[in-house]
Amino acid sequence: MHTIFSRVNNVSAFLSSCLMSLVLAVAIASALYHTYQTPPAAGVVVNSIKVLPGKGRYLRKYRSRQQQEFAFVNFNLTADLSPLFHWNTKQLFLYVSAEYTDQQGTANEVVIWDRIVRRKEDANISSTFKNKYHLKDMSTTFRNAPPAHYTLKYNLMPYVGLLAWGEAARTSEPIPFPEPHQLA
Amino acid sequence: MSASFKDNLLDLLEGKIDFEGQRQVENIAKFALIAAAVFSFIVGVLFQSLSVTFGIFGVAAFVLLLVVLPPWPMYNRHPVTWLPAKESQPPS
Repeated sequence: MHTIFSRVNNVSAFLSSCLMSLVLAVAIASALYHTYQTPPAAGVVVNSIKVLPGKGRYLRKYRSRQQQEFAFVNFNLTADLSPLFHWNTKQLFLYVSAEYTDQQGTANEVVIWDRIVRRKEDANISSTFKNKYHLKDMSTTFRNAPPAHYTLKYNLMPYVGLLAWGEAARTSEPIPFPEPHQLA
Repeated sequence: MSASFKDNLLDLLEGKIDFEGQRQVENIAKFALIAAAVFSFIVGVLFQSLSVTFGIFGVAAFVLLLVVLPPWPMYNRHPVTWLPAKESQPPS
């Protein structure tokens, strides 16, 4: 500590320890907050589902694109996610996914819609949406697919600390896929 | 003339302080950094803003460096008093 350089060394060493403890305290506090806060109020209601035949991925064996059924979902979201915006929230990633376990016992989870919420003012959502991403089954048809639940989930991205996941809403009953429309 | 100017500059850059000053600096730095961390955390929670937290901590750290790094006269108030030089023995 007797010269400037040894003082710089000593003070900056303790300064970085204090800074790390501060960051750790912030991370632990927001993790505890996320664990013990009341879950946000939200709801998903599916208005209508249509299944239409179309062309899927290209198969070299047949030199043509595969026959593939696509599901089109129209749903209502009502969510007030503003309680998730606390001092350590950078942004929220919201996503709606269709969940069903098929006859082979495979759990499918298909993200059909998502949104990034950066501001608390945008965290209050009440609107009708359509799926942004293709909803299609691995077997190319929904004929054997059981009814699916639709869920609204979120991923909270903090400035400091660990990511937090949560489920904001889920349809009360599973909704069956309809028979495919025949294109005339 | 030029040699003494160089010595003065080197002394200024080296910034020596005495033993009592070293103890003072250590205590000030320890207390100030812990207090700044706790205070900035509490104020940040109250204002619900991380930029307030790290702003307060950064300003406090900058002020601390200003207080602690230069060889202020308050760190040189207890110079070491040496024993008086013994008269050199005549060679026997």
